[in-house]
Amino acid sequence: MIGKIVKTSVAVLIGASVAYAGSFNTQAEKDRQALVKYMEKKFSDPAKNKQFFPYATPEDFKNLRKGVKFEEFRLGSYAYDKIGRAQYNDINEMPPYEDNIDAGEELYNKTKGIKQCFPDPAIAGEYPKFDDKKGKVVTLSVAIDDCLKANGQKPWKLTKGKMADLEAYFAHMSKEAGKKVHITIPSKAAAAAYERGKKNYYSQRGYLKLSCATCHVQGSGNRVRREFLSPLLGHTTHFPVYRLKWQGLGTLERRIKGCEKNQGENPHKPGGQWMSDMLYFMAYMSNGLPVDGPDIRK
Amino acid sequence: MQKMKLFLAATATVGLMSVNAVAGNADLVKEGEKIFNTKKIGNCLACHAVNGKKINNPGNLGPKLQGLSAWPEQALYDKIYNPYTTNPISAMPPFGLNGVLDDHQIKAVVAYLKTVK
Repeated sequence: MIGKIVKTSVAVLIGASVAYAGSFNTQAEKDRQALVKYMEKKFSDPAKNKQFFPYATPEDFKNLRKGVKFEEFRLGSYAYDKIGRAQYNDINEMPPYEDNIDAGEELYNKTKGIKQCFPDPAIAGEYPKFDDKKGKVVTLSVAIDDCLKANGQKPWKLTKGKMADLEAYFAHMSKEAGKKVHITIPSKAAAAAYERGKKNYYSQRGYLKLSCATCHVQGSGNRVRREFLSPLLGHTTHFPVYRLKWQGLGTLERRIKGCEKNQGENPHKPGGQWMSDMLYFMAYMSNGLPVDGPDIRK
Repeated sequence: MQKMKLFLAATATVGLMSVNAVAGNADLVKEGEKIFNTKKIGNCLACHAVNGKKINNPGNLGPKLQGLSAWPEQALYDKIYNPYTTNPISAMPPFGLNGVLDDHQIKAVVAYLKTVK
């Protein structure tokens, strides 16, 4: 009898703590579901949903795929841009990032402390994380550098090189293990970081007064010149990416820097609060999507 | 005879002025077209196609520009200077307000847009 009471109490306590932990992400979950609903509706049938593509040409509608499924948003604009998807498939027959995964594996095995800090390498979908002890968002790049520093080593550049290689290995292992993006909001401070990140994403900034959302929520599926803009949903799933423009691999931090420049703004510091908060928001939006890195983008 | 001379002189002067004006305007139109199509300056083609003009892969984030020759110059100028005054939720950058283009450059773009049927 006593055993039963203990068991029940434990179950209730666990249930309560789960519900309590869940409460910090109430708003984030509402936002995420609204975004998924918006994107699924928009790309269910672009030609029928012309309100989302007010200036698209008949050729554009021919090129936009119908019935894009939730999981496909990990592919960015290739989820709906038929021509882009065909080119992407062609390049992916001989992925240019395979050497980077090998280099990353070597770094994982040989760099002092890395294996101890990250015993399971299939963790790409869990970052950025909110670290309650530090009271801040920690991206995967920052976590790797923190580990290096804790082991008396010089930190790596957050944007490319060794950092991108090691992240390519982490992403590859996560993808192989069938991992999904799983960002948690464990505390009130984490929820506040999420809200700051959301504000950063939706605020008009720079001399062009564009927000990220102008192009990647409202503008997704529309074109700047001949490039179809990618959606916020799925943006963080496939990093690090090998960009044809870079002729090499880059981290999320590197991509955001480039994006901010295009937007007409002085880029924020990789690893700084502004960028990390925003990446936290962006990654949360992709919760539930498969980890799909490393991958290729134009 | 004196009157005739004066008339001829006046006609010549007016003629010359209008030729100058046309030549000046043609230069301005050309300059505006360059600003419109150059990434590091106006980069208008990133979002806008233009009716009757050959534009290299224009985007579709903004509307295809047409019938602008019927717009008053001031309305075109204001739209480029700060589009939020007429459309507060416009995605278009305020090219004048934030100093992306200066007064002369905006006037050049306006001259170009006035040729859009």
